[in-house]
Amino acid sequence: MPESLWEGVRRRDRRALARLISRAARGQEIDTIRQLGPPQKPARVIAITGSGGVGKSSLIGKLIEPLRQRGRTVAILACDPESPLTGGALLGDRFRMGAALDDGVYIRSLAACSGRQAIADHLDAVIRLCEEYGFDWIIVETVGAGQGDTAVRAWADLVVLLLQPETGDELQWEKAGVLEVADLIVIHKADLPGADRAAQQVRAALELAGGTIVPVILVSSRTGKGIAELLDALESLPSKSRRGDDVHAFLNEAQQELHRRLRDPAATSLLALWRSGRIDIHEALRRLWELTGSPQP
Amino acid sequence: MWYAEGMSEEPIRIVLAKVGLDGHDRGIKVVARALRDAGCHVIYAGLWQTVESVVRTVADEDADWLGISILSGAHMTLVPQIMEAMRQAGLDHVGVIVGGIIPEADVPKLLEMGVSRVFGPGTPMQQIVEFVKSRRSAAHA
Repeated sequence: MPESLWEGVRRRDRRALARLISRAARGQEIDTIRQLGPPQKPARVIAITGSGGVGKSSLIGKLIEPLRQRGRTVAILACDPESPLTGGALLGDRFRMGAALDDGVYIRSLAACSGRQAIADHLDAVIRLCEEYGFDWIIVETVGAGQGDTAVRAWADLVVLLLQPETGDELQWEKAGVLEVADLIVIHKADLPGADRAAQQVRAALELAGGTIVPVILVSSRTGKGIAELLDALESLPSKSRRGDDVHAFLNEAQQELHRRLRDPAATSLLALWRSGRIDIHEALRRLWELTGSPQP
Repeated sequence: MWYAEGMSEEPIRIVLAKVGLDGHDRGIKVVARALRDAGCHVIYAGLWQTVESVVRTVADEDADWLGISILSGAHMTLVPQIMEAMRQAGLDHVGVIVGGIIPEADVPKLLEMGVSRVFGPGTPMQQIVEFVKSRRSAAHA
């Protein structure tokens, strides 16, 4: 069946794409996808990140129509958190995007395990599938966990960080982390008071940090202010982040590999041992290192 | 839930939606929550969906199930349209469940149209959860 699904994706059969994404998201087809090599027509991959409630889904929803007017097709991969206790998830981003029936727009909701850097498993493979289908743009919405989630950098051409007015004092912007990986910063909800001030503080913090100049754009999804300016910037900014030498890419890949290896029976029984309380976490980690040193099952 | 026993089991994906002019979404949200807590991946499509947008969502999300909530009395109009649109989109493998205010007399008619089950007011959540989890659609098994 997978072969016909692959043909389907190349024929632009949406259902084949949907089915293959399901397989890729659960770790199947990964080797086949890796062997594809670079895409014939690389997509522009944009990651939208920022804390929960900042308006990522709403903003993406507002980008769809003008993007289509500019003649771009777009796939949107919306990540929402999965419960670490039950494995369940409520994927509600799609509702906020209000997508029309348009063959040039594909929206897919993906669940991200907790503690997995705010993006779904095997996201790189899912992105590659969307490129194979031929989308011009791929927008990835992260879970929106907050300050330390920088893994998106490895998979995106551009990382857009959403902030909103009244988000802590100016010291907030001095913290290391997500501000450093952004290629573009959006002060969202710019119709609210305090937006200009937030923009000034962020610009000041970035200037102090030195290095490259990161654009800061004021946007309001409610009024439409700044949407066109944001799209212009997203089209014109050079791709910076999607590169193999990034330490985040390495750590993320290592984490995914570890995740795969934990399905091995020896690792499962080790986890059971730790969860029962018979060994502490340090002992469990030590034994895990030994396990990962063994040949792959 | 990668660290638990039985982790190879893939979560069931279910699209929940309300179709047409029907603003009563409390019930469907409670069902969404129950299914989420039972380990399903619930794609909440929300209020005021059209037949076409629901079917598009089911296809794009590669769902195992579609759950429709109707409290407007329009079920005998909307459900046949949904079933026909699902067939035309080649989504026969996706199970459809209907919830809401559905008169007893209409239930057999809905089942005849291909609806898997109708859940009326007062249905225990556990019953919906067990039904959805008991049967993964054939094409996804």
